Amino acid sequence: MKKPNKFIRNFCIIAHIDHGKSTLADRIMELTGQVSERDMEDQLLDSMDIERERGITIKLTPVRMFYSADDGNEYIFNLIDTPGHVDFTYEVSRSLAACEGAVLVVDASQGIEAQTLANVYLALENDLEILPVINKIDLPSARPEEAKKEIEEVIGLDASYAPLVSAKEGINIKEILEDIVKYFPAPDGDLDAPLKALIFDSYYDNYKGVILFVRVKDGTVKKGDKIKTFRSDKVYEVTEVGVFAPGLYEKNGLFAGEVGYIAASIKSIQDVAVGDTVINAENRAEEPLPGYKKVQPVVFCGIYPLDGSKFGDLKDALIKLQLNDASLVFEPDNSVALGFGFRCGFLGLLHMEIIQERIEREFNLDIITTAPSVSYKVVKTDGTELFIDNPSHLPSQAEIERMEEPIVKVDIYSPPDYLGAIMDLCRDKRGVFKEMTYLDANRVQLIYEMPLNEIIFEFFDSVKSRTRGYASFDYELIGYRPSKLVKLDILLNGDPCDALSMIVHEDSAYNRGRTLCENLKDAIPRQLFEIPVQAAIGGKIIARETVKAMRKDVLAKCYGGDITRKKKLLEKQKEGKKRMRTIGSVEVPSEVFMQILKTNKD
Amino acid sequence: MAGIYVHIPFCKSKCSYCDFTSFPDKLCYAESYMACVYREMSFRRKELKDYTFDTLYIGGGTPSVIDESYIGMLVASARKNFNLAKNAEITIEINPGTVTADKIAFYKKVGINRFSVGLQSAVDSQLEDIGRIHTAQDFKDCAALLRGENFNADVLIGLKGQTADDVVYTINYAAEAGASHISMYALTPEDGTPIYTDYLNGELPDSDEVAALYDAGYKRLKELGFIRYEVSNFCKRGKESRHNMNYWKRGEYIGFGVSASSCIKNVRFTNTFDLDEYFKCIFTDHLPVINSEEIDTDGQKFEFIMLALRTAQGLDAFEYKKLFGTDFFKEYKTALEKTARYLDIEGDSVHIKDEYLFVQNSIIIEFMQS
Repeated sequence: MKKPNKFIRNFCIIAHIDHGKSTLADRIMELTGQVSERDMEDQLLDSMDIERERGITIKLTPVRMFYSADDGNEYIFNLIDTPGHVDFTYEVSRSLAACEGAVLVVDASQGIEAQTLANVYLALENDLEILPVINKIDLPSARPEEAKKEIEEVIGLDASYAPLVSAKEGINIKEILEDIVKYFPAPDGDLDAPLKALIFDSYYDNYKGVILFVRVKDGTVKKGDKIKTFRSDKVYEVTEVGVFAPGLYEKNGLFAGEVGYIAASIKSIQDVAVGDTVINAENRAEEPLPGYKKVQPVVFCGIYPLDGSKFGDLKDALIKLQLNDASLVFEPDNSVALGFGFRCGFLGLLHMEIIQERIEREFNLDIITTAPSVSYKVVKTDGTELFIDNPSHLPSQAEIERMEEPIVKVDIYSPPDYLGAIMDLCRDKRGVFKEMTYLDANRVQLIYEMPLNEIIFEFFDSVKSRTRGYASFDYELIGYRPSKLVKLDILLNGDPCDALSMIVHEDSAYNRGRTLCENLKDAIPRQLFEIPVQAAIGGKIIARETVKAMRKDVLAKCYGGDITRKKKLLEKQKEGKKRMRTIGSVEVPSEVFMQILKTNKD
Repeated sequence: MAGIYVHIPFCKSKCSYCDFTSFPDKLCYAESYMACVYREMSFRRKELKDYTFDTLYIGGGTPSVIDESYIGMLVASARKNFNLAKNAEITIEINPGTVTADKIAFYKKVGINRFSVGLQSAVDSQLEDIGRIHTAQDFKDCAALLRGENFNADVLIGLKGQTADDVVYTINYAAEAGASHISMYALTPEDGTPIYTDYLNGELPDSDEVAALYDAGYKRLKELGFIRYEVSNFCKRGKESRHNMNYWKRGEYIGFGVSASSCIKNVRFTNTFDLDEYFKCIFTDHLPVINSEEIDTDGQKFEFIMLALRTAQGLDAFEYKKLFGTDFFKEYKTALEKTARYLDIEGDSVHIKDEYLFVQNSIIIEFMQS
């Protein structure tokens, strides 16, 4: 047995959104000479437009660096970036499996946040060494000693040696690098054993085919090798291996302990599931590496192409997105109002928004998305159980014995000033109070149990607006509970619109129906006839609004010089019409399906 | 059918809603300008030698602010360069307060047989508000000079504070003064005009209110025996503007002067909007055209439909077949089905139902090829 290179350190960085993870990663790369200061573009790892704009990390972006440590040795650092948001816990667990250590970044003025905790526990479960780092010590509000105390109290980690740094100002970054060398173990494994490499991410390259991001645990892999994955029988010849420098950098081979990529002209993405193990087809390893727990989507919505003929393009886009985001699930769906599309499942609301944005930006597709829903458990009178995430698939009331809805435990962290506002909101959202803890003079932790379907309906915005952005929250699914749920239907000009149906709690059905009708009345443009907008439960109308008929839609003058102008005006009007869907006899703008969720309350 | 349009870009002062090319402070250039227009006509003489023109329309600006002798020479120049039909309709736009009995007599002498008078409103406070230089009485005096003539009165709806009664009063006023034709336009606030500020401040009637003003005006016009032959144009029997009907039948026309538009052999082109540029072109023997676009068959078809459906008589499928060689009803089956409840179809004639003419855009776009 031959041990891997003992000068390799594989690690990731765990941090709450906005605690400075990406900036710190940039500083580390700068200090290891990975990129010259001149070439630095802010936040190198966040390469997606959405990531830079929102200041968040969604995808895992590995990078390899060299570091000459004070002990006289040169080390190879593989940094695997991780997403911070709770929706992306799945991605985090994937990157953790490729590392031996995790740098935990904590904001010196804000302390540990709920989401960070979840990821720290994940790291501990994966037996990772954790190195706490106190960041933003340059801020006047920095309280590094309190932050350290909190780390010790909340996580039970010894934080006395935690480096005090400022990633923004470049203070004490070298101390982190030295600690990485000192505290993080070199990779384990056997160079002589048959190849075993964990696929922790992948993406599709138009020229090279599927690029697999791997952590080699045992053995080696090089160009010309015949490889396969554990779960598939297809054999591929390796066309290229390399490391992330960042960006693909070709090498002769990848060895146990290393992080890098494999390209093998893989065309079929179904054959290379993330979490699977790559092995040598001619010298097969017996056992696969432990994969990841398959996560369950909790939020669902319908995604339809605006232009019905683009169904195939939408399908391709979803397949490509799924290739490097295995948590995205989808199946074909058919709506009376919207035609052919997909029912998609997401890890959370942010995840849903990101996917929608990526489809529109990266694949240049105009899409219509329906109101998000959760998955309800329906127990039928004949005793069978089924899960329904699409309101239009709900059996008729007579067939339903009872329904259950998913419940989450919500952790809210807020300054004490806003407690009243938060408690009011949680009560409105059918929350059940569980616990309140004063973490310190400025921060209170509130724990509620709440139906998930209340959270997907504007909860995030409400929490932020009622606390002027000071509060943060996190939630986790704790199970299903029986609930009085009804299906709320929307009728436009007398025709039911399946894409606007939703499942709501009986007590809020009336209010929700009224708000929906009001919002629709404003969102639907006036047409040549009067349009009644009605909300109904099981055939009984509970609310009604009217979109008045249009009375003036004409260019008053149209003489010699006006003809071209008039034509352009009509072309524009026609263009606007293309963004609409006809439901029965009514034309509805595609944005409506999301817009109507706004409650106007806050 | 073919028409000639001449643009006279001068006026006494600019009205607050006016978006036309007109220069209130450049009246001193009138002589040079008109000389250029005559010359521009000569540039087109050869190209248009096979055309017979049925109409000549002198618009602006305010053509009546320049010396009438220029207008006389203009008509003469049109006759000299082009084949202007003997019974051609020759219209001039005039403003109350800019004409005298002698001027009108001269216009008639040179062959002008139709007049278009800018009344806009018979409520003096509204006239003042939109920057008109005349009063209602001035209009009445002007109309007295035109007694017995074929003349139009322009009426605006959608003015600040305007009521249905105001519109009815204005229409009565124009009809009593002897107008044989009334154009009732909904004010369109254009960006860059002073009235646009009023619009942004929400001081102008909204589209529902404008529709109500239109309905009130239309009702009164009907009572007075005016026929609506186009969405904004009303006249006594047989008094339709032939020049304008030519536009809506997608006939050919040639325009002269700054900002004038033309459509000849399916090419649409427009002259420069800049007075200096116009002079420069003519002095150096160049056509003052700044843009030109050839309309393809799909474009021609849509224009034909869009223009025809503005009129009460609507579209003639027989005419369509003559022009394009295809069957209108087959070609637009889907659009016709979709808009069936808004159309009247009798034989070859397709027109928008009376009550939907004022909301025609959303009907017309169904006929646009996408």
